[in-house]
Amino acid sequence: MDERYSRQMLFAPIGEAGQRKLKDSAVCIVGMGALGTVLANHMVRAGVGLVRLVDRDYVEKSNLQRQMLYDEEDVRNGYPKAIAAEKKLSIINSDVRLEPVVADVTVHNIESLLEGIDLVLDGTDNFQTRFLLNDACFRKGLPFTYGGAVSSRGMSAILVPGVTPCLRCFIQSADAGGQTCDTIGVIAPVVDIVASYQAVEALKFLVDAGGKRRDSLLTFDLWENRYYEMKLGEPLRDCPCCQLKQYPALDYAEQEEMVSLCGRGTVQIAGKGQLDLEQWRERLEPAAEKVILNAYLLRAQLPEGERLVLFPDGRVLVQGTDDLVRAKILYARYIGN
Amino acid sequence: MELVINGFRQELDVRTIQDVIAHFGLEGKPVVVEADGAVLTKEQWATAEVRTQMQIELVHFVGGG
Ligand SMILES: [Zn+2]
Repeated sequence: MDERYSRQMLFAPIGEAGQRKLKDSAVCIVGMGALGTVLANHMVRAGVGLVRLVDRDYVEKSNLQRQMLYDEEDVRNGYPKAIAAEKKLSIINSDVRLEPVVADVTVHNIESLLEGIDLVLDGTDNFQTRFLLNDACFRKGLPFTYGGAVSSRGMSAILVPGVTPCLRCFIQSADAGGQTCDTIGVIAPVVDIVASYQAVEALKFLVDAGGKRRDSLLTFDLWENRYYEMKLGEPLRDCPCCQLKQYPALDYAEQEEMVSLCGRGTVQIAGKGQLDLEQWRERLEPAAEKVILNAYLLRAQLPEGERLVLFPDGRVLVQGTDDLVRAKILYARYIGN
Repeated sequence: MELVINGFRQELDVRTIQDVIAHFGLEGKPVVVEADGAVLTKEQWATAEVRTQMQIELVHFVGGG
């Protein structure tokens, strides 16, 4: 076989047989930001046969500090991330079939995005999409490799239908509490480490080394030098996804009403709970250009040009765009659900 | 009482796990609680009493990527 993989095949647990399995495998990476680019780099260099790259956003200068496949030319060209990633990855390993998809992952396209896929890698920046991926993976019987990174903190776990609990067994709320990479920042090393933990679990699964699967949720803070492993344990008895098999995120009706166009240049995003505007003022002030709070609402002028308007009942208006996807991108950046 | 929370000793005036969650402002957040090695479901938080030197791990799920 290819000299390219010689060192990987010398690693006995993979060997020639494992390399062939990788070649016959297909993975889908959802979100081609910081985690996604590291994940794609590993999958493509390792020789996974097909790598589908899904992202809704385009490359910006503030990505270059940590999103390792992009460069200044991509920023100048304003390329979508999926396309810029494909361009770079195709000259790293031309044997791999790359399928870039520039799209927002929703209940409408999730089925087709997972068609023909053996494993899903989480490169998303919000719990809304993670719940959708979790539910779709568990319905379809595909392993879901969770990863998250913010500040100097990271977390990762591989969740396998019928074997481990699912994401909903651990968390029911999608409220990230305003802690996103765009509000409290992130350092690149934590991203590389989280994605590399995800990648190695993907490789183990794809070469049928299930016995070596990490059976824990790994969490760490690189700045505070803290590591913690929590056993995955048993599924939650009444988990709506993996036990009751209701897959709430795949319910069309529930997803529809979340995001809607309301008037010219304004998109409304329905919240799930109340917003404490005083707290949100503190959170958004460091990241926004200007924040105004009155008794009824909080308005934040974003560096991107748009405005966010937060209401105590949980609703958020994104002003300055008619584009629902753009509104969801900004919502994920600053509110973080 | 003195508790060990995420590896750090802390003196907190709390009675239950729910109080600990409230103390750190984590209500409604994606958090898993492990107390002395056992995972406690949300339903158990209000009745699970803490005791001095209990090792409590608040595993706050990270959303960024
Ligand atoms: Zn579950």
